[in-house]
Amino acid sequence: MRLASLLVKELTQFLRDRVILLLILWLYTVEVVLCAYALGLDLRHLPLAVLDQDRTPMSRALVDGLTRGGAFDLVGHPADMRRAEEWLLQGRARAVLVIPPRFMQSLLRADAPDLQVLLDGSNANTAATARNYILQALQHLQSETGAGPPVEALVRVWYNPDLTNTRFIVLSMIALAALMVGVIHPAASIVREKEVGTIEQLRVTPIRTAELFLAKTLPTLAIGVLSVFPSLLIVWWFGVPLRGSLALFLLLTGLFLLSAIGIGVLIAAVCRTLQQALLLAFFGLFPIMFLSGTLAPIASMPGFLQTLSLGSPLRYYMDVILGIFLKGVGIEVLWPQALALAGIGALFFGLAALVFHRQQP
Amino acid sequence: MNVRRVSAVVLKESREILRDPITVGVSLLMPLVMLFLFGYAISLDVRHAALGVWDGDATPASRELVEALTGNEYFRLTAHYGSLHDLEQSLQRSEADLVLVIPPGFAADLVRGARPEVQVLVDGTYSATALLVSGFARAIIAGYRQSGRPQLLHLETRVWYNPSLNSANYVVPGLYAVILLAFPPLLTALGIVREKETGTIQSIFASPLTAAEFITGKLVPYSLIAFLQMVMVIAVGYAWFGVPFEGSLPFLLAAGLIYVLCTVGIGLLVSTVTRTQLVAMLLALIVTLMPSFLFSGLLFPIFTMPELLQLYTNVFPGRYFVDISRGVALKGAGLEILGFEVALLALYTLAVFLLAVWRLKKKVA
Amino acid sequence: MSGEAIIEVQGLHRAFGRQPALAGLDLQVSRGEIFGVLGPDGAGKTTLMQCLAAILDPSEGACRVLGFDTVRQAAEVTSRIGYMSQGFTLYDRLSVDENLAFAAQIRGVPDSAFRDRRQRLLEMARLVHFGARRAGALSGGMRKKLSLCTNLIHEPPLLLLDELSLGVDPLSRRELWRMLRAFREQGTTVVLTTPYMDEAAYCDRLAFLHEGRLLAVDSPAGLRARAEGSVYRLRTAKTITTRERLDDAAEVIGVQWLPGQLVFQLAAGVPLPEPLRTALDGLGELQPVTAELEHAFVQLVGGGQERQGARQAAPVAKCTEQTAEAIAVTDLSVRFGDFTAVDRVSVSVAAGEVIGWLGPNGAGKTTLIRALCSLQRPSAGSARVAGQDIAHAPLALRQRIGYMSQRFSLYPDLTVAENLAFFAGAYGLRGEARRSAMAWAIEMTGLEGTESRWVGDLSGAQRQRLALACAVMHRPQVLFLDEPTSGVDPTSRQRFWELIQSLARGGMAVLVTTHYLEEASYCHRLGLMFQGRLIAIGTLAELQVEVGLAAGAEIEAIFMAYMARERSQPPGEAVA
Repeated sequence: MRLASLLVKELTQFLRDRVILLLILWLYTVEVVLCAYALGLDLRHLPLAVLDQDRTPMSRALVDGLTRGGAFDLVGHPADMRRAEEWLLQGRARAVLVIPPRFMQSLLRADAPDLQVLLDGSNANTAATARNYILQALQHLQSETGAGPPVEALVRVWYNPDLTNTRFIVLSMIALAALMVGVIHPAASIVREKEVGTIEQLRVTPIRTAELFLAKTLPTLAIGVLSVFPSLLIVWWFGVPLRGSLALFLLLTGLFLLSAIGIGVLIAAVCRTLQQALLLAFFGLFPIMFLSGTLAPIASMPGFLQTLSLGSPLRYYMDVILGIFLKGVGIEVLWPQALALAGIGALFFGLAALVFHRQQP
Repeated sequence: MNVRRVSAVVLKESREILRDPITVGVSLLMPLVMLFLFGYAISLDVRHAALGVWDGDATPASRELVEALTGNEYFRLTAHYGSLHDLEQSLQRSEADLVLVIPPGFAADLVRGARPEVQVLVDGTYSATALLVSGFARAIIAGYRQSGRPQLLHLETRVWYNPSLNSANYVVPGLYAVILLAFPPLLTALGIVREKETGTIQSIFASPLTAAEFITGKLVPYSLIAFLQMVMVIAVGYAWFGVPFEGSLPFLLAAGLIYVLCTVGIGLLVSTVTRTQLVAMLLALIVTLMPSFLFSGLLFPIFTMPELLQLYTNVFPGRYFVDISRGVALKGAGLEILGFEVALLALYTLAVFLLAVWRLKKKVA
Repeated sequence: MSGEAIIEVQGLHRAFGRQPALAGLDLQVSRGEIFGVLGPDGAGKTTLMQCLAAILDPSEGACRVLGFDTVRQAAEVTSRIGYMSQGFTLYDRLSVDENLAFAAQIRGVPDSAFRDRRQRLLEMARLVHFGARRAGALSGGMRKKLSLCTNLIHEPPLLLLDELSLGVDPLSRRELWRMLRAFREQGTTVVLTTPYMDEAAYCDRLAFLHEGRLLAVDSPAGLRARAEGSVYRLRTAKTITTRERLDDAAEVIGVQWLPGQLVFQLAAGVPLPEPLRTALDGLGELQPVTAELEHAFVQLVGGGQERQGARQAAPVAKCTEQTAEAIAVTDLSVRFGDFTAVDRVSVSVAAGEVIGWLGPNGAGKTTLIRALCSLQRPSAGSARVAGQDIAHAPLALRQRIGYMSQRFSLYPDLTVAENLAFFAGAYGLRGEARRSAMAWAIEMTGLEGTESRWVGDLSGAQRQRLALACAVMHRPQVLFLDEPTSGVDPTSRQRFWELIQSLARGGMAVLVTTHYLEEASYCHRLGLMFQGRLIAIGTLAELQVEVGLAAGAEIEAIFMAYMARERSQPPGEAVA
């Protein structure tokens, strides 16, 4: 009876709390959409300047071939080398293609003219990708004229054929949203009671500490798992496939939420005001976010950070969400992740229960 | 403006800040933590990508092709597959980042000059690395057994400003901008809203202190903290991460000062529209920090975004300072090149201030 | 009322959204007056003060302060006055000296003048030795005094003080008033707000404010005179019968149910009606008594609707079980590090007894209550509450006690019914038992009709009664109330005390803390706490005698005498 009353109260309060509801809605929708549209690491519209010292049909064809794909945007033809360098300095162009004079002549005479590409290396990734694109385009040119490389490489991309970043971003944003909801909701709920003073009132009643703990954590678990359904809409909107089992995904989401909830309760234990709790939550979640492969792959991180990431529940959840949606794998592949999530979840949840219990007199 | 009154506010605020060890600690520590995290964790450099091979030919030529790939630091060999099933499993389990499939008859075709086709299967889940990895693979395969053959043309690439293509050099200068968007607005906003919550602001209202004097007085200590944060981050970036410094330090510091005033001003503005510390914090974090982290060009180049969003990024002052700091650090650019951004930033700062002063009326409601 | 008008208010209206806070006020304050504004929470006191300080603009009407219009010439006003808002308005991390220096600098006090004034003020406030101490480390009374000093450093002609003595101990309150009077001698005008009737009596003139309206403006004596002749006391043991007879009489506008007597008030100008006199004959000794300010207030408010609500006799609540000695405390101490919050307190409270617990903030009252509710582990000593040992049987204990905190801890985002349902469930009531408990609680506290309203929308008095309802649905043996009447208007307070009395009659032991000294008479016995120690316990009469004061002495005087006695004794550090 006591627990039932508590749960009814918590659910009623949740449905009436506009701030948290709005926050959850925002995280799962607007944030995902914004990021998905904006955060492309795909190479598009790279500003390219062309110093065409030849100005022949062949040089123009070369430039056309490069800019046709949409990867490069032709920003202009600088008059001379000095002007070209200035453009790079200003950031007006990120790459400069220098076509030497008598380019067409040399080509026709099979005299291997020298092309030059100047890249703005300040963004290392785009520079490297730009270089690869140009190389590729030129190789196409070479193969068309029959003097191509001896080995033809046919690249097929699995799970994400058009290689857009969108699918990855959508899924990682959803994973992040689950983490944030899992952490913020119990923390906010507990700290709010501290602020209003009702937590004292609760302690004076026969309500057991364990009942209070469950009342603060179970609703979040339910909410987190149920939030998967609206996010499926977003997933469908962006054309992200769901190749694996939804049931498995829900189960593993539940396991993941155990860690998040545990963290949330621990945060609430040390904070007296909602503001402190949110501050701690945001800045505490930052490192977790980073070390879990949501922004950059773990494999690219230095060794010690990779080891650290083994403790992050989000890391395993990322594998789960990407695996189930994009690769369609099941428990036979994801069992290490499931185990890790269960283990870490039990750890955080257990610690939280202990600390919560300790705080009661 | 009465100097004595302004300095009274400056003195009081400074004392309050210094006597709050948590705030001081967080202000100094968090930027460093962020710097290290960003500097080390955000790297898209591809090294030792896991390469799986299904060699259907098993000839010296095919082995040579494999060695061409594994002989450099981009790839390392993880497995030779016995069957196609094993190959699929490997990709599914994310054990391989890419798989090279060499068909039988490879060497024979090569000798005949018949341009054999090899397949490169890439795990596209992490598209950023997939892109790079497939690009490298393609380039290496294209260069296989190329030496000595007649080239159609020569390509020389030169990389300017960051020849080693080091991620940290790219990320860290951008961080100077973002870190300053993280803490100063938050601290400043909280500093004022706290007075609203405890009621001390009513005493301020019911006194000769004008809104402009109050704002100026608040501004000085928080700007100083922010400036200190910036200097610290620049110093650590240079000394620890080895980020180059091609341009003029005084120029960067001067532009930095304007930027600092801007971010502090944003915090002030936020505080004039909120009543509680909670909302001030949410506003400061969600509306200023997170979007600027995403949209200032720190990690994700602005030119790849849709047009509309590119316009949207102009709202964030962080974007201008990212250009400025990258320009100074990596390109050695100075006022002639970056003058426009600096002027824009100064204008932005002025606008923010005027807005804040206008909004802060000495009335409780 | 001769003398220059320092403040002139005409037709002042102020609304927040659609909520009117002030409705058409007219008043005038002359130079050198100490003018008090009296009223419960929500009356509009703070809104009025903010308008006078020119930090809030009126929706309609005008205020002229020191000859300047508060809307168009706000800067002239704010640069001349001193304004102390509710709370402490100090910078806690700054020291006493630094707070004073800041105040002086922003008000343009020249350095030469500052030194002298600072010295004088600190001496007056007895804070001279605390110059370097952080404001956050001072006691409540000291902080108020410091706050007052920061507003006097520029020697303003007008001082506006909002809730000067909220939560301040009697000694510090005396010192504050001494300072005010000293400045009044020099021609400073003081306008202050207060919810405390006894403090209101010190003012030259008073304004009664209720729900944004000015009920009356007069000297305290003048106000009391209005209710003179309308108040009677009946000493009787047959309190239930007496109450029923009084409830039947339409002319009775207020009833105070004190131990062993009832004090009732008739409508203005109405003589004691014969039917009532006859009805009360034989029940006990009836005599007229002098009217207090509280009675003047009730008379002006009308007291009508609240009385209507209480007309049904509150059903007597029988407790589930009863232990004769409801609370038995033996040498209880609670220590936090080297700070002793509760120091060897021993007391015994019987079932059905109402015991009042007085003491300044920081005396340890709340800590003691929390220890007895098993919210705080005691460092030494023991206690049995409702027959359960507080250290060893916390769960059994909690089922048998009720607790109402100072903040009326209710869930603001739930309705009245939802709050009741939740707390009933929390105490294990289900099904029919729960429904009947909720129905009883609603009827007893007069909350019919409010079941589906948000708690956040209720008035202070309604929330107070709801909090009480939530605390007693499970019929506890012992009830702990921590400042249950703060900020509530006099009529509602009277009604609340009636509820307490009826619960006590059912066998509930009630321990109440309060700052309203006038409520001391509602209790059977009083306990005085100071610096963690119980320095006095007994009935009002016993306490008077013990400290050597004449019968009929004010409770405040009794308290001061006990504190003085404590001070002269060696143990413990004296706090300024």
